[in-house]
Amino acid sequence: MNDKRNLTPILLRFGSVIAGLLIWHYVADVVINDSSVLVSPMVVVTKAYEMLVTTGELYPHLFASSQIFFWGFVLAIVVGVPLGFVMALSVVVCDYVNPWMTTLYTAPRIAFAPVLLLWFGIGAGSKIAIVFLGCVFPILINSYFGMRVVNREYVELARSFRLNRWALFSKILLPASIPFILAGVRLAIGRGLTGVAIAEWFGATEGLGYLVFFAGQTLNVPILFVGVATFAVLGVIGFELVRRFENFMTPWRKSSQGV
Amino acid sequence: MSMAGPVLELKNLHKELPRKDSEPFQIFKNLNLSLRDGEFVSIVGPSGCGKTTMLRVINGLMPRSAGEIFIDGKSSKDLDHQLVMGFVFQGASLLPWRTSLKNVLLGLEGRVKGVAEAEQIARKYLDLVGLSGFENNYPHELSGGMQQRVNLARALAVDPRILLMDEPFAALDAQTRNFMQLELLRIWAETKKTVIFVTHMIAEAILLSDRVIVFTHRPGTIRSEFKVPLGRPRSMEMRSDPRFLELENVIWKQIEEEVNSSGGFANQ
Repeated sequence: MNDKRNLTPILLRFGSVIAGLLIWHYVADVVINDSSVLVSPMVVVTKAYEMLVTTGELYPHLFASSQIFFWGFVLAIVVGVPLGFVMALSVVVCDYVNPWMTTLYTAPRIAFAPVLLLWFGIGAGSKIAIVFLGCVFPILINSYFGMRVVNREYVELARSFRLNRWALFSKILLPASIPFILAGVRLAIGRGLTGVAIAEWFGATEGLGYLVFFAGQTLNVPILFVGVATFAVLGVIGFELVRRFENFMTPWRKSSQGV
Repeated sequence: MSMAGPVLELKNLHKELPRKDSEPFQIFKNLNLSLRDGEFVSIVGPSGCGKTTMLRVINGLMPRSAGEIFIDGKSSKDLDHQLVMGFVFQGASLLPWRTSLKNVLLGLEGRVKGVAEAEQIARKYLDLVGLSGFENNYPHELSGGMQQRVNLARALAVDPRILLMDEPFAALDAQTRNFMQLELLRIWAETKKTVIFVTHMIAEAILLSDRVIVFTHRPGTIRSEFKVPLGRPRSMEMRSDPRFLELENVIWKQIEEEVNSSGGFANQ
């Protein structure tokens, strides 16, 4: 019984992917049948294979994008988590940071891109800043929220054992917040990849964003789709890695399937 | 440990909450109570009479409005940084990210020198509550009764002078509750702790206690107290003892009066 129940979602997901690819193929080759608009997934896979194995031209782009993503993402964690904590623990800091946080979070990041480019130049700095801006808010907000909603009973428990402030933080508040923080980190992956794409549209000479932009401009549909697909695959891999890390970090939660 | 004086003494303990635009909201007033070493005292009363709040004030989770609390003759204000009381919460207050063993270790960490020694103590208390072999299970893997056992072990592990228990079995089904009552009696006999046990079940109070204290409706104060006329060790059969039933009846009538004089059950 148990095996069957565990297998069903996997089959469903696999079936969903296959069905999607079949529909894509059908629409591309039969309904539209115009390779300047849409190409079959077969063409994309062939092109990707060529770019990965035969010519290897995808790697520099992959490498450039990964680097920007990595630094922006890590910086967002390093800044977002502690700032979220401080906001949760201090009403003053929270009130102080809140208007800026709301403004920056809701403003379209793409509008910031030229400004950041102006400030940090067309090198890695501005790109990392764009990725950082994308990643930092879900992490910050979740770290803040996670620490705010810690069960009052746990805090009373700490008080009843006369734990000091540091023990309250490290033994109660921090572990209670970890699932929230990691959920924020998971959300940040998608936003970070969007950041990479935006960053590389402006004045870049390599990277997946550049590749997609360039292919779009030159109407190279197969490369365009290889770029988009690579983004998608990176997103799925990143999402899955964080999910596994979540399960590893929080073995006490009933193992959760799905998103 | 002074055997002569009371272990816990409440003198004119009073608790109120300030309100905007009106008189302060009185939770309980004029509480005078004294527990001798190793005594098991239960508090019953109509819901909302302030019995849980009293436990929290005694433990220092909430400030008192007036009055004094003495533990072994010393003011509780001077003892705030010492761990003289263990609190068993009503809800599942086990930390879900800690295993049974780690939950019991919570109060020992930083107090007992050496990790190995602390672990040894934690294991001893898990064994006492009958959970040997479940050291590495997380709370969600344990039944409600087992979770309350861990809860009890955690409160006992720091070897408190007084154990405060806030309706610890309220969330359990009737059968598990009965088993846990017997387990608590056994554990209490082994540890000889001084216990204040808050419950809304009169039979539970009688079965467990040396003395049962009945609270008035809010603002709660002591209406009456009864010495339980049953020997020890207690057993479930005693619940059909005429003296047990009579006491249960008397206490029930008093609580009923309290509920009625406060405007009836509908007002609770």
